[in-house]
Amino acid sequence: MMRHWLTPALWLLVLVAGCLGLPALEPWLQPLVDGRQAVIYPRDSFVTLLLNHLQLVAISAAAATLVALGGGIAVTRPWGRDFLPMASQLASIGQTVPPVAVLALAVPVMGFGDGPTFVALALYGLLPILRNTLAGLQGIDPAVREAATGMGMSSSQVLLRVELPLAGRVILAGIRTSVTINIATAAIGSTIGAQTLGDPVIAGLVNGNTAYVLQGAVLIGLLAVTVDSLFEALEQQWLKRTPGLSG
Amino acid sequence: MLAPNRVILVLGAIALLLFCSLDFGTIQPNRIVEGTPYGALDALEWGGFALVTLLLAVTLVAAVLALPGRYWAILVSVVLLLMALPWLFSGFLEDQLGERYPYGRGGFAAGFWSLLFLLALMLVEGLRQVGASAWLRLTAGVLVLLSWWRALEVEALAGLSLVMEFQTRPDQFQQALLDHLALTLGAVMVSLLLAVPLVLVMIRRVRWQRPVFALVSFLQTIPSLALFGLLIAPLSYLSANLPLLQQLGIRGIGWAPAMIALVAYSLLPMVRNLFVALTEVPADLLEAAEGMGMNRRQVFLRVQLPLALPVVIEGVRMTTIQATGLTAVAALVGAGGFGTFIFQGLGQAAMDLVLLGALPTVALALAADTLFTALARLSARLNGATAQPSLIYE
Repeated sequence: MMRHWLTPALWLLVLVAGCLGLPALEPWLQPLVDGRQAVIYPRDSFVTLLLNHLQLVAISAAAATLVALGGGIAVTRPWGRDFLPMASQLASIGQTVPPVAVLALAVPVMGFGDGPTFVALALYGLLPILRNTLAGLQGIDPAVREAATGMGMSSSQVLLRVELPLAGRVILAGIRTSVTINIATAAIGSTIGAQTLGDPVIAGLVNGNTAYVLQGAVLIGLLAVTVDSLFEALEQQWLKRTPGLSG
Repeated sequence: MLAPNRVILVLGAIALLLFCSLDFGTIQPNRIVEGTPYGALDALEWGGFALVTLLLAVTLVAAVLALPGRYWAILVSVVLLLMALPWLFSGFLEDQLGERYPYGRGGFAAGFWSLLFLLALMLVEGLRQVGASAWLRLTAGVLVLLSWWRALEVEALAGLSLVMEFQTRPDQFQQALLDHLALTLGAVMVSLLLAVPLVLVMIRRVRWQRPVFALVSFLQTIPSLALFGLLIAPLSYLSANLPLLQQLGIRGIGWAPAMIALVAYSLLPMVRNLFVALTEVPADLLEAAEGMGMNRRQVFLRVQLPLALPVVIEGVRMTTIQATGLTAVAALVGAGGFGTFIFQGLGQAAMDLVLLGALPTVALALAADTLFTALARLSARLNGATAQPSLIYE
């Protein structure tokens, strides 16, 4: 019954085990580095890096979801429909801009650190969610909306009980894309001073320490796979709850 | 009776507000010292300031007044403004740098960037409202680009820090451009060559479909920095133990890990679009073609391929855009390209160098988008069918 939650739980277990257990692998990683270099990334614990990485992604995803969902709903209402073409063009042209460029361009404006990384993640993360919100809401058969209104629902009831549940799966897919991109971009955020699992990779690349690179890369990969499988499970759950609404 | 255009009204009002309130440009006495910001009025003096406000006011008035030709008035003002911006900025540089700071340099500030962004949005909305043809869109774009190009050619923007960063390393810039293009286009081509046989097999053998899609989606999930990083150790090991690889220049750092990772990422959009393109051709069309006496080869070449082409080109478009951005990240593992400037600039806290890497990366992605969108439309029109990019979104 809850079988689809098993995969993310297992990945999470591997991720946590990796964060805690990597230092124990020191003897096996030793051959990767010169004798003089440290083998295990010393500056922060992997748990600290993981938590900060997650926090950056989670807060920016929450902000992006709120704004994109609000914006997507606003431009599909009768009073906001003038802005619909511009919003959808912004969402599609905006996604042409590479995330790493957004990250880089945030620095001249905001300086280094977690702040500009957060803004870049939230801004870029908006776009896939906005695109999917618009696609989901516009994909609803107008007859369904009319039927709901005919049943005496107010416009906000139509939105909450009919439109959002129908568009939910597409919106969730948009959030998944957004989060996947942002986990990757947050890792690159290490180059602009954000504290993430990208730190060991960057430090390793700068100092020619392959062991650091490997530790960071493995953990970033595990984080991405864990979160993605979590979204997969959420999607399954959504499908199960709303069996008739899978279209 | 025409209603006011609220979109232009809002955009124009924000543009006017930000233009008047934010800093327009900055002046640095040299590369290291922090810049002094200048507001729009100080930077442009009365003449330039009046010109910008006037043209923005025209768009606002045209947005409110319900006159028949109003969108043309808006389009002309917006294009004129976009064309005037480099020359206005040039005047600012001349006034402020001049003899006072022979080694000085100027930079665009938030007000300038906001104006540029909002004008671009107004242009898009204006073009949409007049139902502009592809030629009109192209003309508007070319006019603006020509004006900027001319300003660069006569060195009107020679004092711009971005231009100065470029001029100290024109050869490196050219090399970065070549490396970036080679990696991006190379990855796109290799992934196309891999995807074609893969998809053909998937169509013949249904049980291959799920595992192949699962694999390429899984690869797409792995963050770029992680995949680049994971490739370094095995590639270094192989290179150290196989002299042949070493002679080919395949090492843990450099183009080899970049290329492998880029191809891995390119597989998902390529395989998905090829698969959709080749499987969504209506079955009755294929039967009709066979009924006309075509053999399998003819059906593929004359019916299936032309119908699939727009969707395949859309896949190439998405792949190219994605690879352009990922190539910039690949500079971290020493693959070259515009990412080199980005990360060098970040390392030295030299923001103009960051811009010199980031802006061309964005430009390349936008150029690829424009080119392949046009090609997809063209191939769809040749079929007499309409392009269906909506097919591809998940």
